[in-house]
Amino acid sequence: MTAISSTAEQDRVSTPLVGRPDVNKKRLARMGWAFSAPALLVIVGVTIFPIVYSLIMSLNYVTVTGSGFSLDGFTFSNYNLLIHSSLWRNALFFTLYYTLVTVVVELIIGTCIALVLERLTAGRGWMMALLLIPWSMITVINAELWAYIYNGTYGVADYILGALGFGHPVILGTPTSAVIGLMIADIWKTTPFVAIIVLAGLVMLPGDVFEAAEVDGSSSWQTFWRITLPLLRPTIALAIIFRVLQAFGLFDLPYVMTGGGPGTATQSLAILAYNALFKNLAFGPGAAVATSTALLVLIACLASLRVFRVQVGQEGN
Amino acid sequence: MRNRKRTGWRKYVNLITISTLVTVLFIIIPLYWLVATSFKNPNSIGTTPPAMGPTPFSTDNYYNAFVNYDFGIYFKTSVIVTLSTTALVLILGTLAGYALGRLPMRGKFTTMVTLLIISVFPAVAVLAPLYLLMRNLGWLNSYQALILPYTAFNLPFAIWILRNYMLGIPKEMEETGRIDGAGPLRTVWTIILPMALPGLFTAGIFTFTACWTEFLMALTFNSANNYRTIPVGIAEFGGNFQVPYGTIFAASVVAVVPIGILVFIFRRFVISGLTSGAVKG
Repeated sequence: MTAISSTAEQDRVSTPLVGRPDVNKKRLARMGWAFSAPALLVIVGVTIFPIVYSLIMSLNYVTVTGSGFSLDGFTFSNYNLLIHSSLWRNALFFTLYYTLVTVVVELIIGTCIALVLERLTAGRGWMMALLLIPWSMITVINAELWAYIYNGTYGVADYILGALGFGHPVILGTPTSAVIGLMIADIWKTTPFVAIIVLAGLVMLPGDVFEAAEVDGSSSWQTFWRITLPLLRPTIALAIIFRVLQAFGLFDLPYVMTGGGPGTATQSLAILAYNALFKNLAFGPGAAVATSTALLVLIACLASLRVFRVQVGQEGN
Repeated sequence: MRNRKRTGWRKYVNLITISTLVTVLFIIIPLYWLVATSFKNPNSIGTTPPAMGPTPFSTDNYYNAFVNYDFGIYFKTSVIVTLSTTALVLILGTLAGYALGRLPMRGKFTTMVTLLIISVFPAVAVLAPLYLLMRNLGWLNSYQALILPYTAFNLPFAIWILRNYMLGIPKEMEETGRIDGAGPLRTVWTIILPMALPGLFTAGIFTFTACWTEFLMALTFNSANNYRTIPVGIAEFGGNFQVPYGTIFAASVVAVVPIGILVFIFRRFVISGLTSGAVKG
């Protein structure tokens, strides 16, 4: 910017600042929308518009044509199909219990790790750095790695189970063990994330409350249940919300490790939607699966905000 | 920081040490297995019982990944897509974060909550319409097919983070700039940006990580070999009968190293992003 143009700017912007605050405010507001317009347009165009379009697709007869597809009138049949489809019920059930089990286990182990690290006197920085490795790991690589570990002929898990006298179960080939195998891979990747969040919450807790508890003769067990845990509630709520929302979109891990199998044992809602849309070209039902998943996420999000009474974004206004 | 005196602290310290060690092993052992396998001879990967270390040591898998497979192309695609998206997100996010944080606009609160809800939406909900949009634009199998949606999906979090930093900057700083005759864009560039630098690091490293690891959209929009990203490339390495784990893990090590280094350098900002998050407790 040259000196001349910046003087011109000065005349336009700083003069009203002194004389006419109301006009200035309007001008600043207009400037604000101009500044945020590019970002908001991209977001609306690539997220909100497609979500609405998905909803419309799911409420129409969709015919696939040569150049794409056409919408052939309103119907509720796509959703009707879902409700009566055992595939959808299986996927919904799998996604829900997978979410429940992994989130609970990750929360318990993650809290334990955080409690340990909080008492660590040396090397906490290194431990934090170590915890971030699984967090930044590409999920596809995580899936390939565990698939290799579970491999029925040369996997190290198979070898260890055999050596311990458990025989040679086909880990990813049996529904129950495939689900457990997936959960272990998920827990490896995500527990550190929970631990970091809880640790940050622990460090910020007020020290005087704990001193008071100690003076009152509270045992460490009592202190944990009566003081630490209730004070950590907002932090734990944050971790739960993030994890639950993430788990609803579960795709990469089962897609690469088991392909949704054996059978449909590990078919999540996202895999079901993907297969319906891009393998079977069933755009109507596929859109219905995708839209209902998004709706579930929205409900889960609002419900957890309510349950944990988390305040959103009020702090600055 | 709590400071508690305990009797029998020695026993306690031991428990801490053991738990820490267990945690370290839990994280390290699978990683060790990844790296060790990548340096094994391709022929010795399928042996039973599995060899515990990379003996004989070999770099054949790395050679395979780059020469016999097209891992170089996937790496290049990932770098282009990730860097372009991160740059775009930071530019657009800074402008929007500044406006939503500091300028008197109506509907700011609604906008921020909408952004928050969008940031948690599963990508599968937008997949079909976006696929059709990309196809109509002729963008399937191109860099922009990923740059555009990645930008849109990472902007909400970036705007939240940046806005929170902008809120903390004293008003006087900005007014000084304005009285000195700086225009609005110049004020953002010379006064706001340096003060919001931690926010930029946080938003940047999160966007980078998200783009580097994203799978579903990359799989759907860019299936042609020349435009596959690292995750898609690695997932499709497998043939019908034999999965070339050696090659997969060599490629994985190469893919994980850059992100590992970045996360390590910027770990302070990653942790602040994880904990201050989009939701305020």
